[in-house]
Amino acid sequence: MLTRRSIVSVVDDDESVRESLPDLLWELGFAAHAFSSAEEFLASDYVDQTRCLVLDIAMPGMTGPDLQRELKLRRKQIPIVFITAHRDETVRPRALEQGAVECLFKPFSERALVEALNAALRVS
Amino acid sequence: MADFSHDGSVDDAVRAATARQSPSTPALSRIEPAQSETGLFSGESVLNILKLIFAGAPLPDVLTIIARLVEAEGQGMFCTIWLLDKEGKYVRCATAPSLPGFISNWDRTPVGPDGACCGTAVYRREPVYVTDIRSDPLWDSYRHLVEPYGVRAVWARPLFSSEGKALGTFAILYRDVGSPSATHLQLIENASHIAGIAIERHMKEKELRRSEAFLAEAQRLSLTGSFSWRVETDEITWSEELYRIFEFDPDVPVTLALIGSRVHPEDVPLLNDMINRGRGTGSDFEYEHRLLMPNHSVKYLRMVGHGRRDGDGRLVYIGAAQDVTERRLSEETLGRVRSELAHVARVTSLGALTASIAHEVSQPLSGIITNACTCLRMLAADPPNVDGARETARRTIRDGDRASEVITRLRALFSKKEATIESVDLNEATREVIALSLSELQRNRVILRTELASDLPVVTGDRVQLQQVILNLLRNASEALSAVDDRPRKLQISTERDAGDRVRLTVQDAGMGFDPQAAERLFEAFYTTKNEGMGMGLSVSRSIIESHHGRLWAAPNEGPGATFSFSIPRGPEGLTGARSLGTIRTPAAEDSERAMGDPC
Repeated sequence: MLTRRSIVSVVDDDESVRESLPDLLWELGFAAHAFSSAEEFLASDYVDQTRCLVLDIAMPGMTGPDLQRELKLRRKQIPIVFITAHRDETVRPRALEQGAVECLFKPFSERALVEALNAALRVS
Repeated sequence: MADFSHDGSVDDAVRAATARQSPSTPALSRIEPAQSETGLFSGESVLNILKLIFAGAPLPDVLTIIARLVEAEGQGMFCTIWLLDKEGKYVRCATAPSLPGFISNWDRTPVGPDGACCGTAVYRREPVYVTDIRSDPLWDSYRHLVEPYGVRAVWARPLFSSEGKALGTFAILYRDVGSPSATHLQLIENASHIAGIAIERHMKEKELRRSEAFLAEAQRLSLTGSFSWRVETDEITWSEELYRIFEFDPDVPVTLALIGSRVHPEDVPLLNDMINRGRGTGSDFEYEHRLLMPNHSVKYLRMVGHGRRDGDGRLVYIGAAQDVTERRLSEETLGRVRSELAHVARVTSLGALTASIAHEVSQPLSGIITNACTCLRMLAADPPNVDGARETARRTIRDGDRASEVITRLRALFSKKEATIESVDLNEATREVIALSLSELQRNRVILRTELASDLPVVTGDRVQLQQVILNLLRNASEALSAVDDRPRKLQISTERDAGDRVRLTVQDAGMGFDPQAAERLFEAFYTTKNEGMGMGLSVSRSIIESHHGRLWAAPNEGPGATFSFSIPRGPEGLTGARSLGTIRTPAAEDSERAMGDPC
């Protein structure tokens, strides 16, 4: 019996992430959609369908945390897993404090990703 | 000579004069008027007066003695001696021992055609003999001043210095009308000579004292002392201020050993180097070293010495030493702040750089790992998704290339300076670098020797880049020496012709050296033995030298320390090769480029 795949949205301005991550997510059993910016995601139909958001922190225009705030304002409770290439030790605690499920530093392992997603889906 | 009692006797004058002399001067208890047969005062009297003069007796005392000696030679003579003032406008009476009240009535006479006899003689620059003052118009304005003394004739003769400069007048006032006799003339002549000597000597001493006082004041104000050093005998003379700077008792004779006892122990090698250089070449020197004072405070001294040969060809150094403590301390504070600032800037920019490298590389790495994971999963599926795996593997390679590109771009960023190709005089370039580093080297107590070959051909290359290499080698050597305290911190930089039409530069230090097995690792990027170094210097230096088609290598010394050398061809092939020198590349960068040429 086919269970419906949970939808995971990936928002990252980096193309290689947008290309590679959805395929891996599919292999892990999710349905993934990639967006190159926060604005693009907000404008899409996926805001209401997304079970988990994999969100880059530093992006041109609206940043990851900006999107997090915007979703809060819209009362959309989507669990967020932040990903970032800036290995700044202050970033992670701040992100978790603001309600993120996890914050992964690029490059991250498959296992770390799976754990973060599982945690996120438990929340939702 | 009853009048003597009014002004005191010759004995009194002599006693007064000798009382002021130093104990070493032969005591002159009496100068007796000689009862000589010629009627002139004797050789012995003259000698005694000369002794008084050179012992520094006050001028009025000496002139009074001369006047009295002349008066003792005959009857009816009253002697006066007049001094020309600084402006040359008046003569003033300095002594008239047998004319009581004379000076207070008549203290000066103008120099001019109507200056009685005394002013007129200076004016005419010749003797003026007035036989009868009652009839001579020269005396119209002055007659009343001398008549009370029963004077009728006045014989005046101008006094000159050895250079012919007018000094004043010697005059005999005579009780009878008439011209001077031959004996009188001889007397006037002799007395004038001695009085001239006394006055001239007095003026020169005054001049000397003034200039010495001036100099001493200037030395005190500028905290500068002067010295002379006879190299052959090690005879050393110091100015007062130098004693003050060293805080030595001015009575203590200065010796090199005494100086050495005050020099800061760490700077004794500098002093020895200075002494050896003085003994050896006789070339000028300029040094800065510290003094360790008895109260443990430290003074900074800047010494400049100029060597020259005296008449007998013996070497004498004349020099100055300035106490630059205050300046040095403020410079050190400034230097400390600056280097702290530089360190902060370095750490900050290094931090920023690391973050930027990390970010740039992490992005494609992230893609690589994700793709590889996907790939494995696709291959492990049943049936395996071979097409998908192939696609993700291709993406993995592409992301790998992206990471390489980032690295290449960063390297280019580091070295992306258009190389300027020009003729470079390596000696000149070296001297400029030394000039830039001199204060740092001196602060580090490094004794630098330079041996730049005079026949060094010019090379073709990028002057600034080559200077960066020289500066780097010099800094490394200086830093390697900073931990050395048990021997002189010697550093030698030399240039020479090298085999195969090349030019070689060598930097040799007596520092802590390196492990011979690590000789090649020294040139690896990020390899460092220093606490603060990034380990980039030698790696970049080598790439610069290699881009000049040269070689940079290191070797441990037989004794302590290490020697770094580079050797570069001097062209003209350097010129053609150097055109491709737009970007300095490290061998590693070229390797990665080669690797990138074959994507799969």
